[in-house]
Amino acid sequence: MISFEHLTKRYGEATVVDDISFTVPSRTVTAIVGASGSGKSTLLRMVNRLVAPSSGRVCIDGEDIARIQPYMLRRRIGYTIQNYGLFPHYTVAENVATVPRLLGWPPARIEAKVDELLTLFRLDPGEFRNRFPHQLSGGQQQRVGVARALAAEPNILLMDEPFGALDPIIREKAQDDLKAIQSRFGTTLLLVTHDMEEAIRLADHIAVMEGGRLEQYAPPGEMLLHPATPLVEQLIGTSDKAFRVLSLVTLEAAAAPGPPPPGALPLPASLSLREALSELLWSRRNALAVIGDDGAPKGSVTLEAILRRAAGPEASQDGPAAERR
Amino acid sequence: MTRGYLRPAAFSRLGFVVTGLLAAALAGPLVSFHANRILPGDPRSVFACLPPALAAGLVLILAAAMAAAFFGGGWPRLAMASLGIAALGIACGVAASRLTATGGSWSRVSPGMGFWLGLFGLVVLFADAAVRIRFSPRARLSLVFLAGLCLAGFFYSGIWRDVSVVREYDARAADFWREGGIHIMLAAGSLMVACLIGIPLGIGLKFSQALRAPILNLLNVIQTIPSIALFGMLIVPLSWLAAHLPALAKAGINGVGVAPAFLALVLYSLLPVTANTLIGLRGVPAPVLDAARGMGLTSLQRLGRVELPLALPVILTGVRLVLVQNLGLATVAALIGGGGFGVFVFQGIGQGAPDLILLGALPSVILALAAAVVMDALIALTARPAP
Repeated sequence: MISFEHLTKRYGEATVVDDISFTVPSRTVTAIVGASGSGKSTLLRMVNRLVAPSSGRVCIDGEDIARIQPYMLRRRIGYTIQNYGLFPHYTVAENVATVPRLLGWPPARIEAKVDELLTLFRLDPGEFRNRFPHQLSGGQQQRVGVARALAAEPNILLMDEPFGALDPIIREKAQDDLKAIQSRFGTTLLLVTHDMEEAIRLADHIAVMEGGRLEQYAPPGEMLLHPATPLVEQLIGTSDKAFRVLSLVTLEAAAAPGPPPPGALPLPASLSLREALSELLWSRRNALAVIGDDGAPKGSVTLEAILRRAAGPEASQDGPAAERR
Repeated sequence: MTRGYLRPAAFSRLGFVVTGLLAAALAGPLVSFHANRILPGDPRSVFACLPPALAAGLVLILAAAMAAAFFGGGWPRLAMASLGIAALGIACGVAASRLTATGGSWSRVSPGMGFWLGLFGLVVLFADAAVRIRFSPRARLSLVFLAGLCLAGFFYSGIWRDVSVVREYDARAADFWREGGIHIMLAAGSLMVACLIGIPLGIGLKFSQALRAPILNLLNVIQTIPSIALFGMLIVPLSWLAAHLPALAKAGINGVGVAPAFLALVLYSLLPVTANTLIGLRGVPAPVLDAARGMGLTSLQRLGRVELPLALPVILTGVRLVLVQNLGLATVAALIGGGGFGVFVFQGIGQGAPDLILLGALPSVILALAAAVVMDALIALTARPAP
C-alpha cells in the first residue's frame, strides 16, 4: 500500500506536484495519466526518493519513506524508465542481476533468478544471458528492463512510460505480459503513461493529473461513467465512451445463467463485451452463448443486455456531450 | 569494396604515390659515404654500392611492392611492404659494410635520401594495408610486438653494425640505454602522475559547476605555453625551493635537471586527462544514470560500476594523446639537463654530426608511433557500441 499525503513539490516558483493525496492499494495496478509537464513523473519519482518532496509525505505500508536510506529504499522497489537505461557494458544476465548483487545474494541464487526471469519473459537464457543490450531488439530490451526491475522480488514496481518506445503491435503483447506477471507476483504496480487507452487496459485505478494537481482518482469504469472534470472527460474521449465501458467487462462476468436462446452465437468467455458486440453485429444475431475454457456452456448474453450496459448515466443525457451533437 | 587480388582496386592514388617514392628510392642515393663522421656525404646509388645480385633482388622486391600498391588487396600489400622494408634494411647494412671495408676505419656510411624515401613509401603501403585488412585490436597489439621483435632481430644480428647510426650507438651504448630509460620515465611517469591528479580532478569537476570553468581555463593556458618557455619558467621557482628546502635539494630536486622537465610534462598532461575524464563522464547516457540511481546504486557504486567504465574509452583517448605528446616533448627536456633521447639530438647538433642526431631522433619517433598504435588498440578494446 502506497499512500500519498499532501505531497507537494516546488522548483523555485513553479509547483510541479500540488498537494496530492491518494492511496494505492497493495497488489493492484495504478496508472498515473497526464500530459507532459503534468507532474506525473515527478510524483512517481518521489516514491523511490529520486525526487525529494517539498512538503507532505509518502508512506509504504504505513512507514514514512523519508526515514529509509534512499539507496536501501530503492533496492526494495523495482524501477523502469522509457528508454530502459540498460547498462551497455553489462551483459543481459549482469543487467538483470544488478540489484540482487547489490543485496549480496549468493551467486547460485542470482543465477537461478536470472534464468527464471529470462524464461518468464520469453528470452531463452542460453541464447540471451551473455548478449549485450545493443544486440537486442527494442522489445527485448524492454523485457530485460522489466526483468531487471523485478529481479530482487520487489513488492512495488514503478514504471515511467514503460511502453513508450515500443511500436503498437509489440506494445499490446508487452502490456499483456506485464499484466500477467503482475498478477502472478502480486506486485503493486504504479505506472506513468500519457496514453489513456493503455491506462484503461491495464489499471485497476487511474489517477489523472494536470498542472501538478490530481483531477480524479478512480477505477476506470467509474471514471468512464462519471468523469470528475472536463479534462478527464476530454482525456477519456467522448465519441467511443460506450465502447470503452464495454471493453472493461468480460462475457464471463456479464453472462446470464440459463440455456441460450436458439441460434445464439457461441463465443469464448474471456472476450470483452466490446468484442462480443462487434461479433453479434457482424453475424446479424441477437444473442450469444458463453463458452468456458473447458468448452462447457456458461450462460448467455443478449444484444439488448450489451446495449443496456453501454448506456451512460441518466444525467449525462443532457450533459455537454449531448449538446455538442 | 573490391576484395579481388588482381583487380585495380580504386585505381589508385596510393599506387602513384608509392610507386613515385619507390622509384625515387631506386634512382636516388641508397646511402651516403662520409670520409669521417662530420664531413659532408658522398651519395651512392643502389647499383653503385650493392653487389649486382643483391641490387637486382632489391629492384625486384620494390617493383613487386609497386605492383601490389596498384593491384593488390590488403594481404599482398602487407606482405610486399614488410618484405620491402626488410630488403631495404638488409641492403643498407650490406652497403655500409662494403663501403667501410674499403673506406678505412674513420669512414661512415649513413642511410641516404633514397633509403628514407623508400622506407616512407613502404610504411605508407603498410599502413594502408593494415587499414584495409581491418585488424582486430588484439591483432594490432601482436603486430606491434612482432615489429619490435623484427627490429631487435635486425639490430642484434649485426647486419647494421657498419651503419653510421649504429656506430654512434656502439660508442655510447651505456649512455643510450640510460637516456632511453630516462626518456620513458619522463614520458610515462609524468603521464601516471597526471592521471593520478587529472582523473580525480575530472571527477570532481563533474560535480562542481563553479570550479569547472576556472580550472579548465587555467589548464588551457598552461597548455598554450611553448615547452621551452615552460621549462624555463619552472627553473626559477624550483631553484628557489631547492635553495630554501635542503630536503628537496637532497632528493635531487633542483632548478635544472629532471625535476622541472618532469613537472612541465605533468602540467602539459593535465588538460587532456582532466578534460577527457570530464567529457567521458558527462557522455554517460542520462537514462543509464537514472536507472542506476533508481535501482539503489550509491554514488560511489555508480562511479565505479557505471560511469568510469563507460567513460573509459574517452579517458584513454586523453591518455593516448598525452603519451604520444610526452614522448615527443621529453626530447626537449635535454635542453635543461633533463636527459632523455634529446641528449643525443642536441649533442649531435652541437658537434655537427647528423648520425648522432638520428640516434636520438629515431627511437623517439619509433616509441611515439608504437605508443599511438598500442593505445588505439586499447581504446578499441574498451569501447562498446551504444545501446
